[in-house]
Amino acid sequence: MKLELRGITKRFGTLVANHDVNLVVNPGEIHCLLGENGAGKSTLMNILYGLLIPDEGQILIDDEVVTIRDPKDAVGHGVGMVHQHFMLIPVFNVVDNVILGSEPVKPWPVIDYKAAAARLLDLANEYNFEIDPQATIENLPIGTQQRVEILKALSHHASVLILDEPTAVLTPQETDAFMVILRSLKESGKSIIFITHKLREVLALADVITVMRLGEVVGVTTPAQADERKLATMMVGRDVNLMVDKAPASPGEVVLDVRGIYVEDERGLTSVKNVSFEVRAGEILAVAGVQGNGQTELVEALTGMRRPSAGRITLNGVELAGEPVRRFLDAGIGHVPEDRQRYGLVPTLSISDNLVLDQLDDPRFRRRFGRNLKAIKNNGVQLVERYDIRAQSEEVAVSALSGGNQQKVVMARELSRELKLLICSQPTRGLDVGSVEFMHRQIVAIRDSGVAVIIVSSELDEVVALGDRIAVLYDGDIQAIVPPTTSREELGLLMAGARAEQVTL
Amino acid sequence: MTTTATQPARLGPLMRLALRARHANMFIVLVLALFVGLIFGGIMIVVTTPILLNSWSHAFSHPGATIASSFNTVWFAYEQLFQGAVVNFHALRMLIDNPSKVNLATVLTPLSGTLTYATPLIVAGLGLAIGFRSSLFNIGGQGQVVAGGVLALLVAFSFHLTPLVQVPLEILAAMLGGALLAGLAGVLKAYTGAHEVIVTMMSNYTMTLVLGYLLIQSLFARPGARDGASKAVGATGQLPYFFSHLSASLLLNFGFVIAVIAVIAVQWFFKRSKTGFELLMVGQNPDAARVAGIFSKRSIIICLTLAGSLLGLAGMLELTGVDHFITPNFGGSYGFDAITVALLGRNKPWGVFFGAIFFGAMFTGGEAMQAFTPTNIQFSLAQVIQAVVVFCVATPALLIEAFRLRDGAHLVSTTGSGGWL
Repeated sequence: MKLELRGITKRFGTLVANHDVNLVVNPGEIHCLLGENGAGKSTLMNILYGLLIPDEGQILIDDEVVTIRDPKDAVGHGVGMVHQHFMLIPVFNVVDNVILGSEPVKPWPVIDYKAAAARLLDLANEYNFEIDPQATIENLPIGTQQRVEILKALSHHASVLILDEPTAVLTPQETDAFMVILRSLKESGKSIIFITHKLREVLALADVITVMRLGEVVGVTTPAQADERKLATMMVGRDVNLMVDKAPASPGEVVLDVRGIYVEDERGLTSVKNVSFEVRAGEILAVAGVQGNGQTELVEALTGMRRPSAGRITLNGVELAGEPVRRFLDAGIGHVPEDRQRYGLVPTLSISDNLVLDQLDDPRFRRRFGRNLKAIKNNGVQLVERYDIRAQSEEVAVSALSGGNQQKVVMARELSRELKLLICSQPTRGLDVGSVEFMHRQIVAIRDSGVAVIIVSSELDEVVALGDRIAVLYDGDIQAIVPPTTSREELGLLMAGARAEQVTL
Repeated sequence: MTTTATQPARLGPLMRLALRARHANMFIVLVLALFVGLIFGGIMIVVTTPILLNSWSHAFSHPGATIASSFNTVWFAYEQLFQGAVVNFHALRMLIDNPSKVNLATVLTPLSGTLTYATPLIVAGLGLAIGFRSSLFNIGGQGQVVAGGVLALLVAFSFHLTPLVQVPLEILAAMLGGALLAGLAGVLKAYTGAHEVIVTMMSNYTMTLVLGYLLIQSLFARPGARDGASKAVGATGQLPYFFSHLSASLLLNFGFVIAVIAVIAVQWFFKRSKTGFELLMVGQNPDAARVAGIFSKRSIIICLTLAGSLLGLAGMLELTGVDHFITPNFGGSYGFDAITVALLGRNKPWGVFFGAIFFGAMFTGGEAMQAFTPTNIQFSLAQVIQAVVVFCVATPALLIEAFRLRDGAHLVSTTGSGGWL
C-alpha cells in the first residue's frame, strides 16, 4: 500500500505544529521520521491515525484521497499505530488485549477465545514472534509488550505501521530483537513509519529518512547519503557536537565510599549483592549495565530511598546507610532520578516551585514565617535563564514543558545546591540531540568543579562518552571497573555477564 | 481569551479586569454556570406551575401573552430570590427616605441571613478543601462537625467564665475534637494503609451514635425536651451578634469574622507555609515528595488533623452562633454540603468562601421565594438552580464545549486537587 501525505498543515492556536508537510511512504519501506522533540512528528502521525484533523492538506492511499476522521477510519484504511506508551490493559492476557474492541463472537454473545488464540498464534508464527497468548501483560517484559501492540495492529490487517519512538523503552538487546522484527515485517510487504531521534538506529534500519524541524520537513535522505553528523545537523539546524568535550579527570579525595552493600527490592529479593566501590572528587563513575541488573536499587540505596540490608555508605567520612532521605540531601548528594516526571517533579506546580522542591529549609527560601516567595521567584527567573529552560515564564506549570526542559528543571535544581556528589540516572533518556549535548556539558562542568559524579545509563554511547571509569553491573554485582577506552565488544560481554578474567582487557 | 486578543478596546474596564485575572476563564465559567442555572430553574418554574403550563396549551393562539406571563412569573420569582438573599429594594428605598434603626435592620436582614447560613459552611468547606488539595478524600465532615460541637458544648457546660475566655476555650475544644477524629483516620492511613474514605465514613456513623448517647446523659439532656435536644449554651459561651442592638432578627455573629480569618489562614498556609507546600507536594506527587526528603506519613497526619480541626470549628460556629443547642441531627448535611462547597470553590480558599455564601444565598433566598410568590414557588427550586450551577462549575468541560470557549483546557485539568475533581 502506498501512503502519501500532501501539504498537511495543523495549527494549535498561534503555534503551527505542521506546516505544508509532504511525506510519501512506499510499500515495503521502512521510513524513518526523524526530528527533535516538538518538531511535529507526533502531530503528523496523530493526523494520519485520525486523532487530529488537519487544517489543510490531504491523505492519499494508493493515490486516492481518503478522509480519516478517527482511529477507526485509519484502521479501516490499513493504518496501525503503536504508541510510545502502550495502550494495553496490564491485568488482561495477551489474547484479551489483542481482540479488545473486535472480539470474535460465536455464537453471539459468547467470545470465541479458542479461535482468537489460534488466530493470534498463526499471526505470531507468520512473523516469527515468540509469544504466549495466555500470559498476563503486566508480567511480560517491555519488549514483549511491544510485540503484543504490533500483533494487535497486524490483527486489524494493518499494512502501514506507525511506531512512535519504539526503542525509547527497550534495552539494547531488546532493540536488536526489535530490529529483526521490523525487517521481517518489511519483507512481508508492510510499510513502516518509524519515529525516533536516535541516529544510530535510523542509519541501521531506514530505507528513507524524512527529517523534520519546527513543524516542517527540512530534508529527505537515505542512509547511504547521510551520516550521524549530517542528520544531527539537519535535525537541530546547527552543527552539533556528538562527542563530549572533556579534559582528563583530575580526581581528588575519595568522596563516596561504598563497602559491601546488599539491597533488597520490593519483593524481598536481593538485587544488589556485596557491591563496593569509591568515587573521588572531580571524576565521573559511569555505571553501565542492562536495565534491571540492580541499577535502580543501587541508586535508591545511594540516595536514601531504600535502606541497604547490609554494608556501609560513607560520604566524606560520614556514615549514611539507614538514615532518612533528608540526611542524604543535607550531606550534599544531588539526585537526578531516572523517571523525572514521577520522582523528580510535581507536574502541577510551577517551575519556580519545582526548582526548590528539596530546598524548602534552605534559609535563602525561608522567611521568619513561611516561604520566601520573592526569593523563590527570583531563583526561578535566574535558573530558567541560566539553564535555558524554554517556557513562557517561571510561573508555568512544569507539566506544560517538554521532556528536555523538564529534565533541565531537575538538573538545575540539583546543581543549585551545594553538592559533594551528583547521581544521575539515565540523564538523557528520551531527550533530543540538542538537549543531550546540553546535559552532557553540565555533567562535565560539575565534575570539573570538583564534585564527584555517578551516572547510571543503559546507553553504551553515553557511558563511554562521559565516564572516567566504567563500572559494569550484572545481576546485582559489579563485574569490573574498567577505563572508558575499553572496546564496546568487551563492555558488551561484561554487561552480558562474562567475568572480567574471561574478557581480554 | 480570544476576545481579549482581537478586540480589547470594546470590553468594559471591569470585564477586561476579569479577563486579565489569573483564572480568567473561571470567571466566565461562573457567569455562564449561573446563567445556565437560572435558565434551567426558569423552565422548571414554568413546568411546575399549573397556570403557566396551562397557558402553554394556548401558545399558538396567544404566543405573546403566553411567553410574557411565563417570563413575568419567572422574573418575579428570581426578584424575590435575590431580594430575600441580598437586599430588599423596597426596604432600601424606605431607608433612604427615612433613615431609622428599624429600616436599617430590614435592609440588612436578607444579607445577614445569607452570611449566617454560610458561616459554618465556609469553615467546613475549607477543611475539606485542605484534604482534597492533598489528595485525601475526607468524607467524615459530618462526624468531625459533631465531634467539634460536642466538645464545645462540654466546655460550655463545664466552665462559666467571661466570654473573652469562654469562647476561645470552646473554639480550641471544638478544633481539638475534629482534629482527634480526623487525625485518627490520618494515623491509620499512614501506618496501616487503611483508606481514609472508609475510616472517615464509618466515623460519621460512630459520631451520630455517640451523639445520641450523650444527648440522654444528664450533663447534656434538657429535661422534658421532646426533640431530644441538649440544654442551651449559656450567654457567656455564645458568639456575640453584630447587630443585636438593631434587631433580634439579625443573626450575623462573630463567627463570620472567624470564618474570614480561617480563609486567610488557609490561603497563607498553602501559598506561604512550608508545611502547606509539603502537603501539596505529597498530594500531587508522593514519589517526588519522597525523593525531596519529605516524610509523607507525617504529612498525611498533619493534613487530616488540620482538616478535622476546621470541621470541628465549623461545628462550634454552628452551635454557638445560631441555635445554641445540639439536636440528634446536629451537623445534618454539613459534612456533605461542605464537599459540594469545596467542589464549587474548586478547593481554593476564596472560592470556598464565595461558594458557601452562594449556598447561603440560595437557602435564604429560596425561603423568601416560596413565601412571597403568589403561586408559592417551591423552596426546592432554589436548590435546583444551586445544583445546576454546581454541576456546571464542577464539569467546566461541559460549558466550555457548549459555549465554544477557547483555551479552556487548563480549567479542566488544573483543579488543584490532584486529579480528584
